[in-house]
Parts: sequence; structure tokens; C-alpha cells
Amino acid sequence: MTAARRMPWHVDSWEATMTDVAAISQAVPKPDHVPDWAVFDFDMFHDPEYLADPHRRILEMAGKVPAVFWTPRNGGHWMLMSHAANFEASRDPETFSSEIVPRAQIKAMMAALPPGAPRIPQPVPINVDPPEHGQYRVPLQGAFSPKSMLALKDGIRALAAELIEKIKPQGSAEFMAEVAEPLPVQVFLKIFGLPLERQAEYRALVKDHLSAGQNDPREMARRLVKVTAVMRDTVLERKLNPRDDLISLLWQANIGGEPTTIEDMENYCVLLFLAGLDTVMNGMGHGVRHLAVDLDLQRKLRESPKLIAEAAEELLRRYTFTVPPRRVTKDHEFHGVTLKANERVMLFLPAADLDPKEFEGPERYDLDRENKVHIAFGTGPHRCLGSHLARIELQVLYEELLARLPEFRLDPAKPVRYHGGHVVGPDALWLLWDA
Amino acid sequence: MKIRIQKSACVGNARCAAVSEALFQLDGDGYIATDSIDVPPGMEQLAKRGARACPERVITIVEDNPE
Repeated sequence: MTAARRMPWHVDSWEATMTDVAAISQAVPKPDHVPDWAVFDFDMFHDPEYLADPHRRILEMAGKVPAVFWTPRNGGHWMLMSHAANFEASRDPETFSSEIVPRAQIKAMMAALPPGAPRIPQPVPINVDPPEHGQYRVPLQGAFSPKSMLALKDGIRALAAELIEKIKPQGSAEFMAEVAEPLPVQVFLKIFGLPLERQAEYRALVKDHLSAGQNDPREMARRLVKVTAVMRDTVLERKLNPRDDLISLLWQANIGGEPTTIEDMENYCVLLFLAGLDTVMNGMGHGVRHLAVDLDLQRKLRESPKLIAEAAEELLRRYTFTVPPRRVTKDHEFHGVTLKANERVMLFLPAADLDPKEFEGPERYDLDRENKVHIAFGTGPHRCLGSHLARIELQVLYEELLARLPEFRLDPAKPVRYHGGHVVGPDALWLLWDA
Repeated sequence: MKIRIQKSACVGNARCAAVSEALFQLDGDGYIATDSIDVPPGMEQLAKRGARACPERVITIVEDNPE
């Protein structure tokens, strides 16, 4: 069974209550302002061809569907296919809000909670618009700066080497569980300041959160509360005894001129915990799957490891994998259609980076292509905060994998299966090599 | 030829520096170090490629003699 994943750092159950989604893949009626030609029936969670090979499915769609299309699935929403539409919407937060549920509605939900109920954390800064967004993002910016992340490179390399050496004698491995998951998770726990010995507990919580059903808002809130609960001791302890970690740093920060509160800390924690413990492993999955089928590329990169940084960029372009949601704030014309206030829009970034208008022969993985200027990390104010870390992790992983394993390929007996949703990636990736 | 950079909008992708470290120098934190660069003769192509490489599109080329 494939889990219907949604973007883990985003409280989409509220979105579900707002749009009254009964069952995820049931079609809803087309609103009158949506022209027939702009409709394309695509379920970003369950489309069978998409789950068999997401990027191949997108390439097939690219010639057929409009730059901006509407799908009746998942409550009915828009999807942006073209690079131009994605680029513009990403950089126009006034029209394309990240406050997926309007603030007033969140307040009303909070107020309706029974007395004594635990507070529901709000993922920041991802679900907050400018200018408030900046107040929450600034304290994180330095911590995730290129320089801060570069300082972690040796540690990341040592960990990658250890994980790969462990699987090497086996001659085969399920790469996602044995490398792609533990590597970024351990790196992130260290940055965050959470005890490594509780790793299994945290991972279980993230897995539970990502694979659980989406349609019960109370369940979703309970899971977010669980995330804050599991970190609470550490968070409170660091307030008294600061260390060289992110939790301590955030306690010492101020947000819009005010000292950080425990509520702020919880809001940060749900975002960072869930984003930090899931996203990059999906990118690793796409990249390593490509390497496993492109043996020429493996050979080339083993001969010239210096090319790996550029190779990693083109892998991000060819296999962009996040689909962030936005909420339209006002009725307006956009790329030939009318978007109405409070409609949902998906920034279909994987399609943007496979747009033939932007990239010549987008299906070609081309190391020599000059234009590798992808928006895999998004663009505009919400651009991925962790991108500098992600780039280092991806590059180091490819370097160590190519240096330590002989030629590896996919296990033909175990085809790759993917999950769709807001973060698209392989559920399992079985590799073979000569041990 | 000159390069103009909206420095405050740099997010540290360092894609320009991947094209030419000599031309696009980064500060200690990994962001672009300056908002204006005089392009030495012979480096015009690198300058243009570096500008195109910026995902945030904050780098523009100013030609000396616009045609």
C-alpha cells in the first residue's frame, strides 16, 4: 500500500475541513468560471501512472495540458505546469498566499478547542506570509547559511561512508531505508540538538505522521501535538542550558523584537522536525535511481568526481520533487484562466523544471546543458531554507556512493514504487551490485 | 561590461560562483560579496553565463556600448 503523503510540514487537515473533502480521489463538480479546456483529471496523490513513474507521467502531460489546469480531484484545485507560471506565482505571495487556511479561520478553530486542550502548533515560517514571514525566517537564516552548512560537510561525509560501508558486503540493499533515511535524519538531529539515541522514536513519529490518513483534522492536530511533546524536554532544557545547536539559538533569537516564546519554539519545531526528517531523502531516492539506470553517467562520474556537483544540479532539475500548495487571495486572471479567491493552487515544480519552453529536450539528462537553472528549491520568499544543507548532503552522498560501491543497478525483480502528494519520491529502491 | 547584482536578494545558491569563482566572489557566509563587478576583458562570456545561472535572477549584465 502506498501512503498518501501530503506535505508533512503543512497542516492540511484544516485545508480539508475548509474545502470539505470527503474522499481524496472523488471528483468534485467543476466551478462555472473554469473553462472545459482548462480541466485535466489528475490526482496528484493516486494517479496510477504518476505513481509508477512520476516524471515520465509529467513529460507525457507536458504537451497535452494547459500551462495552468484545474483538476476535480482532492477537493478540486489548480495546478501550475509551466515554468513561467510557477516562477511568477512563487514570487507573488500577496496573490498566492502560503496561509493555506486564512488566519481568522485558524483563530476560530483554536478558540473552539475545549478548555485544557493542548495548543495546536502552527508550522512557521512556511505557512506565514510576508512581512511576518520574515520575522520567523530571519533567526533561521544564519543557522542554515551556506557557511554554517559547509562546516558540517566532513561529518556528513563520515556518516555517509559509514552507512555505505555497512551495506557494501551485502551486494544489495533497499537504499531508502538503509541510507537515504538515516543519513539526513542523523545530520538533522545533530543540528537541531535532539539526542541521537532517541532517533528511532523520532523516526517512528515522522513515519506515523506521513503515512496516516489525512481526513480527520483532530487526528492530524493530535499528531502535531505529539511532535511537540516528544521534543518538549529537550526544548525546555536548552532554554536553561544553551548549547551549540539550533534549539538554543532559537531561544536566543527574537521574533519581531520580542523574545522567543515556548509557542514560537513549538511552531518552529513542527516545521523543522518534519521537513528536516523527510524531504531530502526523497531527492536522494530520485538521484540514486537515475544513477542506477544510467551506467554511462556512473562511469563518467567515477572517472571525474569533480563533475558530481554539476551532476547533482542536473539531477535536481530532471527530478524536481516537491509540490507546495498556495491559496489564491483575490480573483484575477492568470495565464489565460480566472483564479478565484480561496481556490487552492499547487506549484507543480517538477513540471516547471521539465517545461520544454524553459529547457530544451527536458527529458534528456544532460550534464553539459548550460541551463540547469531549476527551481527545485522553489523561488521567492519561501524558497527552501534547507537548500544549502540539501545540496551538500546530495553531493556528498553521490560522491561516497560512487567511490565506495562498484557499478550498481536496479533490482529487476523489485520495481520502484513511488508515493505522490506534496513530496514525491520512491517508497523503496532496491539496488544490486557485485559484492 | 559591468555586472550589477541585487545583493540583498542573494540567497546563496552560489551558482554564479560555480561558473566563475574569480568573477563572482562570495563573502565569508557564502553570499555574493558585492553589488557591482567590472568585468575584465576576456571574461564577458563567463559573466553572462554566471548571470544566467542565478535561480533568483538577481544578476544583470550592463554592456558598455549597448547596440
